Amino acid sequence: MTVLSEWGTYFPQLLQGLLVSLRLAAISLGVGIPIGLALAIANGSGGRVVRSVAVVLVEIGRGMPALVMLQLVYFGLPSLGVSFASFTAAALGLTLTTAAYTSEIIRGGLQSVPAGEVEAAEALNMSRFDTLRFIVIPQGMRVAVPSLMGFSILIFQGTALAYTIALPELLATAYSIGSSTFRYLSVLTLAGFMYVAITVPMSMLTERVELRLSRHL
Amino acid sequence: MEPHPVIDVQSLRKQYGEHVVLDDVTLQVAEGEVAAVIGPSGAGKSTMLRCLNLLEKPDGGRFRVQDTTIDASAPIRPKDVKQLRRSLGMVFQSFNLFPHLTVLRNVALPQERVLGRSRAEAEARGMELLERVGLADKPAQYPSRCSGGQQQRIAIARALALDPEVMLFDEPTSSLDPELGLEVLAVMRELATEGMTMVVVTHEMQFARDVSDHLIVMAHGGIIEQGKPEQIFSDPHHARTRRFLRAVLDR
Repeated sequence: MTVLSEWGTYFPQLLQGLLVSLRLAAISLGVGIPIGLALAIANGSGGRVVRSVAVVLVEIGRGMPALVMLQLVYFGLPSLGVSFASFTAAALGLTLTTAAYTSEIIRGGLQSVPAGEVEAAEALNMSRFDTLRFIVIPQGMRVAVPSLMGFSILIFQGTALAYTIALPELLATAYSIGSSTFRYLSVLTLAGFMYVAITVPMSMLTERVELRLSRHL
Repeated sequence: MEPHPVIDVQSLRKQYGEHVVLDDVTLQVAEGEVAAVIGPSGAGKSTMLRCLNLLEKPDGGRFRVQDTTIDASAPIRPKDVKQLRRSLGMVFQSFNLFPHLTVLRNVALPQERVLGRSRAEAEARGMELLERVGLADKPAQYPSRCSGGQQQRIAIARALALDPEVMLFDEPTSSLDPELGLEVLAVMRELATEGMTMVVVTHEMQFARDVSDHLIVMAHGGIIEQGKPEQIFSDPHHARTRRFLRAVLDR
């Protein structure tokens, strides 16, 4: 059997795995980035208590490896009587990691908005909320978008960690094919290419977006 | 001077730590008056102006703008800040336009959010003001496509759109080429002619002499001299004023 025809047999199954990986990444990013934005705002403009809570959450989220986070949610929390399906556990763990990391990326973006513009909004009598909503966030997010896209690629790759909690994502699927056929090299290579098929176009897109967004600035 | 000035500042003081940047500043500005504030850099001119709309919080004294009184010795209520800023428009040295919004949106957005005008209303008023500052052909442009002089005129339109009773100008032409500064000064002259009450921190001596009704000379955080511009320009009383005027006029 040639490698190509082998790959033809594995592909449909691996594609199912890839779809799980993509869905996991999409949910983690879709929920995690808004939380990251909220943490960034809390960190930049909240009162002392709010800010401390945000700082602690971000530092824990960034300090703890994503793998430990997943294991903690999946294997740890059941001892406290809270148990999740492996997909939910993986999504929860990666969402926390995403929120923590992206809050720092977004905070950098928000801080890049010149203080003079915020002052002008203040002098124009705009509320702090309106200033954030119409002036700071639109510009700050624009600055953060390329880094957020870069981070999204990392999280997509990070979905492979869910292999350790028995989620049938791309790596786990490849591994299970390998363990029944002993064709590890072949199937893992194909799985690797499938990751690359997503990440390389994403990187190229990131570069284009970066160029487009710098138009008016 | 009228009996009931629009701006009445009493013994205003501001310090950063030990460093006193404003000390015992007392002044009045009458309705329709143009007050020019001149003096060497570091005199506290901009700080004084920024205290008037509370971009800086004063540490002592009190002041009144129209019906809003701010007393530095008491906590300042957010409601008073809102009311104070309602009557004040501010123009900055660095324009501070919103670069991600078109020229027209820059002028319209604050009206919508602060005065609750509809988008159509705000944009109609915005167009009217852009026309007035000579930029009727620019509404769809982004600020970065406009010259410095144009940007500053947009900033003036943006402030005027909120119908302020007093306009504060913080060195509005200092970051502009002399030629572009002229466009801005022309708009300011017109505003003055129309009777707008203005406080202008400036290094433009020509403007101070020709347009202002009231000249305030500051140095070392205090007012060293104030009065009729023609009188101060021709016969300054204070030695520091004489030295400053000589430096800026005989160059």
